[in-house]
Amino acid sequence: MDQDSARTASESLELVFQMSNILDTGLDRHTLSVLIALCDLGLNPEALAAVVKEFRRNPPVTSSTSVN
Amino acid sequence: MESDRRVGDLVRELVCHLQNNPSSPHPNPNSDHVNYAIRILSSRMTPFILPDEAAIANSIKSRLAKQAKLSDALSFADIYSRFASKTGPGSVTNKRSLLYLLKVISEDRNSNPNLQSHRTFSPSVISDGCYSSPRLKNGGVLTISRAPISLRNTAFRDFATLVKGENDVSEEDLVTDVLSVCQGIEGRYVKFDEYVISDSMKLSKATKIMIQKLCELGLLFRKVNRYICDNMVQDVGIVAKAFCIGLQDEVLEYHKLLAVLQSESVNPKGNLSLRRLAVWFVEPTVKMRQMGALVDSCKDLKGGAMAGAIHLQAQHGDPLFHDFMKRLLLKVCCPLFEIVRGWVMEGDLQDLYSEFFVLEQSVKPECLWREGYQISYLMLPSFISKSLANRILRTGKSINFLKVCCEDHSWADLATEATSISPTRGGLGYGETNALESLVTEAEYRIDKHLMHTIFSRYKFKDHCLAIKRFILLGQGDFVQYLMEIVGPVLSEPAKTISLLHLSGLLEKAIRSSSAQYDDRDILDRLKVKMMPHGIKDRGWDVFSLDYDTRVPLNTVFTESVMGSYLRIFSFLWKIRRVEHAVLGVWKAMKPNLTSSHFFTKLPKAVRLKIVLTSRKCQVLWDEMNNFITSLQAYIMFEVLEVTWSKFCNEMEAAKDLDYLIAAHDKYLVTIVEKSLLGENSETLYKSLLMLFDVILRFTSVADRLCEFKTRNTESKTKEAKTSKSKGSETDPWLNEGRKAVTQRASEFLGVMGQDLDSVSKEYSSVLKGFISQLPMQQHVDLKFLMFRIDFTEFYSLAT
Repeated sequence: MDQDSARTASESLELVFQMSNILDTGLDRHTLSVLIALCDLGLNPEALAAVVKEFRRNPPVTSSTSVN
Repeated sequence: MESDRRVGDLVRELVCHLQNNPSSPHPNPNSDHVNYAIRILSSRMTPFILPDEAAIANSIKSRLAKQAKLSDALSFADIYSRFASKTGPGSVTNKRSLLYLLKVISEDRNSNPNLQSHRTFSPSVISDGCYSSPRLKNGGVLTISRAPISLRNTAFRDFATLVKGENDVSEEDLVTDVLSVCQGIEGRYVKFDEYVISDSMKLSKATKIMIQKLCELGLLFRKVNRYICDNMVQDVGIVAKAFCIGLQDEVLEYHKLLAVLQSESVNPKGNLSLRRLAVWFVEPTVKMRQMGALVDSCKDLKGGAMAGAIHLQAQHGDPLFHDFMKRLLLKVCCPLFEIVRGWVMEGDLQDLYSEFFVLEQSVKPECLWREGYQISYLMLPSFISKSLANRILRTGKSINFLKVCCEDHSWADLATEATSISPTRGGLGYGETNALESLVTEAEYRIDKHLMHTIFSRYKFKDHCLAIKRFILLGQGDFVQYLMEIVGPVLSEPAKTISLLHLSGLLEKAIRSSSAQYDDRDILDRLKVKMMPHGIKDRGWDVFSLDYDTRVPLNTVFTESVMGSYLRIFSFLWKIRRVEHAVLGVWKAMKPNLTSSHFFTKLPKAVRLKIVLTSRKCQVLWDEMNNFITSLQAYIMFEVLEVTWSKFCNEMEAAKDLDYLIAAHDKYLVTIVEKSLLGENSETLYKSLLMLFDVILRFTSVADRLCEFKTRNTESKTKEAKTSKSKGSETDPWLNEGRKAVTQRASEFLGVMGQDLDSVSKEYSSVLKGFISQLPMQQHVDLKFLMFRIDFTEFYSLAT
């Protein structure tokens, strides 16, 4: 990536971060960047949101429930 | 595959981040979780219809707004617009789904309050110009550093919302309330008692103060309105009504402004705030304040006093204010000037509420000039000077005088002439004192000229004055002489035996025998005899007087008191004449004639000597007295009467109006009175003069006796001569008796004579000395001339 696109990317990320702050989503920059990438790849945002919700709702129980 | 791999990696990473708490960085992602995540993700791989990107953004915004996070909504909108504008490589392509994602996550988080984290404060300022927005719960001030215009706008908007958040009542409502209060109607929140919003409403203190200030205008308006309504109904006088009309005009302007403001306030696009209202209200408040002050000061006044008070308030430097007051004053003074015009042109005083400064009283025609009209200084407005007011008064008075006393109606033509020359009706108003003055001057000039002409030609004022001088002031010498001769013996009788009719007949005779008979009959008719009220011991001399009858209109000049002064002077002059006449009589008797010398030679020598001595004494005394009387008479006649008369004639020529004429005539009389020792200062002198006259009269009687003695024998002698032919020789006992008896009797008689003469002479000289010594102490400079005449050789002064 060249300089411009890098800058654009960082600016966009910054803006998104601010928006998410306003909306009080609690996501940090890194998570957001991943989410952005996933969205761009075409993943369903509803599903992504569900993932986020799930993992937030109950702090994940690790060993007890192993789902196969 | 590539993308799948990537997806997988990303998912792993996501899970890794998600299961992290901030405390523990970077553990390995739990594979279970990853699987779980993938399962979720794959379960909903079917895409469904997402709403439009902008729609999502708007819905987010409105959601934020609904949650009363207006600032958030605004900033979100701002950021979104910037975000949306970023296109090209490196930017987020699928913004729509991202936004949707964010939206859902935030919704979820909001519905779960446990998960809501404390908002982190990130005050980082990044170099390319983003701002930070601190979120303090109680609202505060936004800090902006190097902010461009849009930032400032947003800052203002934030502030507005802040303020709105504080107040229960919206700004628009307050504005409408204030506007209705300023029109005199109670608003919803603002009541009339104190013009404050009740404390039950939550309002910032700043707003309360602002509202109080704006409602001052309402208070003033109510005061002015009440005054106008009160006065329009009652009968308070035309000037007050004009004042109310002027106020009403100003209030109309004010209402116009308020209507405009009200339409602005209901217009949703117009942004009328309390501050803007404050700016609009500045000018009307100043005007209303002034009107309130005027209303207060004019509460109890009316007429010219009100106009004067308003005029005093109008002395101001500010041109706007000056114009406002001038407009008002023009209206207020309009009725006043109309009255002035009517008065000056036609003598009509249409003043139902006594607002004009000329007061009318109904009096008899002879008092019309002096007492019929007066100036009331209370009602004189301050922009009309006292001298101008006097002239206005005089002009109207002259017209009325002509109307009533002279029955002259030709002045109306003059009035129309004057109006044609002087400025038109429109030009006569407040501020145009020049116009008023010129109008008054024109009218005054014409009317005065006409009045003077009437008085002098139709009523022959000058002739009457001259007649008074000739008859009452004894100017007509031959008439006076003859009158004295025929009236003299009659007046020596006691007063009650004299009849007026008889005296009047004698007066007629005297007139006819003098050159006065050729005078105008009208003048001669007015001359009458007057008998003053007398006591028991009075003789005719004390009660006799002449009177001159003056009628309207001349008795404005010759009033009762004026005629009284004339009569006083007449009596004084008459006394002098009488004394003079007596002294002259003695002279006539003392004339040596043939018969007395005949007698003289017959007498014995001793007697002759005695007679010579006594006669000499008598003559010397007579000479002194004659000298005195003549000088006094000359002084009175020439220096007093003629001089003052010529001065008065000059002033009569120069007189331009009746006031001047009256003043000149009064001065003439007063001067005469003072100079002829009748004034208050000369009372003692006057008394000594009267004593002198008495002494002189006594002398005349003594001298008469002496001369009678000298001449009596001649009569008997001639009788004897006549009858000597007849045998009855009736001779005078004087001569027939022997020498001795004759001598004895003669010397007796002459001794008595001598004593009398001596006493008279002594008294005379003492009184005269007293008189002369008092003369220098007199104030009037002309009395020095009297002294000079009497005593030019300083014979008397040296003798003291």
